Amino acid sequence: MNTILLADLVNPNVVIQTVLPEMVLAVTAIFIMVYDSYVPGKHRVTATLSLIGLAASSFALYQLWSEPGVFASGFNGMVVTDGLRLSFTAVFILVAALTILISSVWIDNENVPAGEYHVLVLFATIGMMFMASGNDMVIIFLGVETLSIATYVMAGLRKTDLRSNESAMKYFVLGSYASAFLLYGMALIYGATGSTNITEIASSLDSASFPALLLVGGAMLLIGFGFKVAVVPFHVWTPDVYEGAPSPITGFMAAGPKAAAFASFLRVFVIGFPLVAGSVAAQYLHETWITALAIIAILTTTVGNLAAIVQNNVKRMLAYSSIAHAGYALVGFVGAGVATTIEGRNEAIAAVAFYMLTYSVANLGAFAVLTLLARKNDRRTEFEDYNGIGFKSPVLSFTLSLFMLSLLGLPLTAGFIGKVLVFRPALEAGQTLLTVMVVVAVINTAISAYYYLRLIVVMFFRERSTDWVVPKIPAAVGFALLVAVLGVFYFGLFGNSVIRSFTSVPAEAPVSASNR
Amino acid sequence: MDFITENLITILILLPAFGALALIGHQLFWKEEAHLKWLTLAFTLVNFLISLLLLGNSTASANGFFFEKNIPWIEAINTNYHIGVDGFSLWLVILTTFIMPISVLSTWHAVEKRAPAFYVFLLLLESAMLGVFVTLDLLVFYLFFEASLIPMFFLIGIWGGKERIYAAVKFFIFTALGSLLMLVAIIALYYLQLQATGVGSFDYVVLLRSIQEGNLVIAGQAGTLLFLAFALAFSIKVPLFPFHTWLPDAHTEAPTAGSVILAGVLLKMGTYGLMRFNFTLFPEASRELAWIFIILAIIGIIYGALVAMVQPDIKRLVAYSSVAHMGFVILGMFSFTEAGMQGALYTMLSHGVTTGALFLLVGFIYERRHTRLISEYGGLSGIMPVYATFFVITAMASIGLPFLNGFVGEFMIMLGMWTSTALSGNWNQIATMLAGTGVVFAAVYLLWMVQRVFFGKLTNNKNKSLRDLDLREIGLMAPLLFLMVFMGVYPSAFLSASRDSVKEIQRIVSGDTKGGAVARTRTKPPAAITAGKEEAEK
Repeated sequence: MNTILLADLVNPNVVIQTVLPEMVLAVTAIFIMVYDSYVPGKHRVTATLSLIGLAASSFALYQLWSEPGVFASGFNGMVVTDGLRLSFTAVFILVAALTILISSVWIDNENVPAGEYHVLVLFATIGMMFMASGNDMVIIFLGVETLSIATYVMAGLRKTDLRSNESAMKYFVLGSYASAFLLYGMALIYGATGSTNITEIASSLDSASFPALLLVGGAMLLIGFGFKVAVVPFHVWTPDVYEGAPSPITGFMAAGPKAAAFASFLRVFVIGFPLVAGSVAAQYLHETWITALAIIAILTTTVGNLAAIVQNNVKRMLAYSSIAHAGYALVGFVGAGVATTIEGRNEAIAAVAFYMLTYSVANLGAFAVLTLLARKNDRRTEFEDYNGIGFKSPVLSFTLSLFMLSLLGLPLTAGFIGKVLVFRPALEAGQTLLTVMVVVAVINTAISAYYYLRLIVVMFFRERSTDWVVPKIPAAVGFALLVAVLGVFYFGLFGNSVIRSFTSVPAEAPVSASNR
Repeated sequence: MDFITENLITILILLPAFGALALIGHQLFWKEEAHLKWLTLAFTLVNFLISLLLLGNSTASANGFFFEKNIPWIEAINTNYHIGVDGFSLWLVILTTFIMPISVLSTWHAVEKRAPAFYVFLLLLESAMLGVFVTLDLLVFYLFFEASLIPMFFLIGIWGGKERIYAAVKFFIFTALGSLLMLVAIIALYYLQLQATGVGSFDYVVLLRSIQEGNLVIAGQAGTLLFLAFALAFSIKVPLFPFHTWLPDAHTEAPTAGSVILAGVLLKMGTYGLMRFNFTLFPEASRELAWIFIILAIIGIIYGALVAMVQPDIKRLVAYSSVAHMGFVILGMFSFTEAGMQGALYTMLSHGVTTGALFLLVGFIYERRHTRLISEYGGLSGIMPVYATFFVITAMASIGLPFLNGFVGEFMIMLGMWTSTALSGNWNQIATMLAGTGVVFAAVYLLWMVQRVFFGKLTNNKNKSLRDLDLREIGLMAPLLFLMVFMGVYPSAFLSASRDSVKEIQRIVSGDTKGGAVARTRTKPPAAITAGKEEAEK
């Protein structure tokens, strides 16, 4: 199975349907690019076209979802259609749509090259989707790069602003560095197992030619993905990049690319490096990455939350909070890793996807309000700027409070169900380290109450001494806010149906390239 | 009517939340703030009347709960909207619905800023509190338990006193930290059940049955840890010494309605949780660790009383008296005797009435003079005779004068503790005596405060023109005063309804096997206890 047969090259097993959501989006993006070069500056048109593209893409996704097993895999097992891919892709589409809606006010204010911006969002989304659907390290890497290059540019879109430039530059340098780690890790894993296909890697772990390569490769991959999801100690780029980037893009980066990185991270580690009975190398690898990730989760939740407490800038606070949330998601990730049954593993994977969904909705909602309140060039993002605006602009401040409470994980909001779901599988294993990890995460949740509530305290409990003009809520942003608010309540109260559909397509047997 | 009785509890929970929505709607279309308090009052009153239907005849389900409903909520984690009341939670539900209209009336003129939001939060708080007392699913219980924090956080933070922000944040973080650990314990229980039976569950009834049938064994270290995780959440809420430090701040800074609800209902969530969940799910750990709680309760009783004595601020004094009273409740519960536990429940109810009344009275005088310092007053009895009379009666009830409500509960608690076997040797008698000193201290701090505020010469000229209570305020106090007397002379009206449920909890926690006639840990025959209780009721 380690040899590439000529037949594969002759018959590449093209199944267009499996990548239809991605293709629809790619066609839309290219069309917008061409359209924008002929008729530049029509940002409403390009936004509408992007939304239509996303809607079509989600329809294609729905088709895949409603007929599980029909197009389970394609392109010689390089692309698969399982619960992991479907649920994460749904998150990406939602994130992209919300981002485009939220950006409208920013585009109006600052004269952004709208066509290019929308195209970049779409290409980033395509990258994310391939990161979730790729069952082959090569596809995953392609996805990572497509996403990264688009986001580097997006972070620096405010061309004359120093902070934005710094943000883009830092993101680019550190991101490339992380990609290098990722690629090196993939190469080493290939060296050890002779394949880049996740399923094949999983099945050939026990016969790995150089077990040491597996460990080194796994470590490299862990570092690379660690950078992308921004977990401690690979998080240092996050606050600067998030603070410098324009607010809607910060919201996008904190939600979309993070979720995408989690999707590939999950695919490579949970499905690619499972516990194989009787194989010493696989057991050692599994044990090592579980331990490493559990410790990273403990560090991430702690550092993220403690650092968030001392921030005076709301965007920076949300940046550290996003680090902390990566830590919570990691708790579910580890839970998926130690699950003993396939069902348990799928449930845990769905839990992480659901967590990213709840986080994305609340986070993008928060950034929508932030964008409105920050005014042009993100001038008003300090905590002081929020003093006493609670009853001056009740709609914005109550929705912002709701998003904060959801991020905090308070009952009746989406964040609560998300937290319960990700904490649950890790407790099942009953291992001491994992229980400690959950307890630390829970204590950190209580700590996080301090800074999330601080925003509420500042808005409602303080009085404002200076004048303040209530920002107008444009229709697009209003719609995005409505979607986010409904999402927070819907996922919090009726999350049942969503969770069920996330687990409806099991990732049990992604058809391996060897048995095609 | 059938629809109402069928979904009685759900209506109770949803009506206030619906009222909150109605208030928002009203504000959007009419913008008439004067209507809001009437609307809120109407909603809370109707809810109170509906809650009285709980007292009517109905048959208990097989699980021993009335008006039970069980609707799936999130199937992936097998959590259900499972609700029902028994004799124990019944009174707490009615206490909640009873306190609400009173607290609405108490702020009739006091809410000057942001009135719509105030009433919305008040109504949301009622929904959350009612949810806590009726839920039989641990996860949903946690959900309501946490949800009740948010409205209270806003009530203290926006409408509170000078140090409101500090008090609100402290209140929130203290309670949230405790309850999050409880969440971990709840999820752990789910897995223990999953390992034991193959189907994980958050359902209290299912877990309890599984424990009683011997399928789910929570023993040893795991049992202790789980017990502690639950107990910490509830102890902070009660609050048990040394977790009480949030309470004086929150009480003092909260607006009158907030203090009344806080003392009247929110604190009871802690004692309710301990008795409902800790005692029945972890009976062994409860018995093993009872001494810790008894010691902390006694420290709380004495410490609360001593600190109350030196408070210059009337509201702070009442707040510390709450610490002492809740110490009594804990003591009674951990005696594991029927008398003690019934007494604990009774003290919970009467503390809700009495302390609520005290906070109302403090609120009345604060609205007039905008100070709560004892030193600012003196000789008020001549100027405000009605107010002084009410205050003295309430203070007496709080001290525990016979024929008033405070006496019955405290007497039963001490009786229960005296006959208890929760502590070895003579320690139970010693504990009872130590707790008894608390009653004496209560007389000291309350009477001394009453003396300084109401009697003696009128020293402060600013007090000369104070007007006495008006009709609204008298009407507000009347039901409370009536209850103080009624609960003092006819306790069996309340205790008979709760007897079976409390007995059941007592049976489980004292380690009785199902149907076992003689309690293993009990040395005296049950008859002595019942006789003692009846004595107390006389």
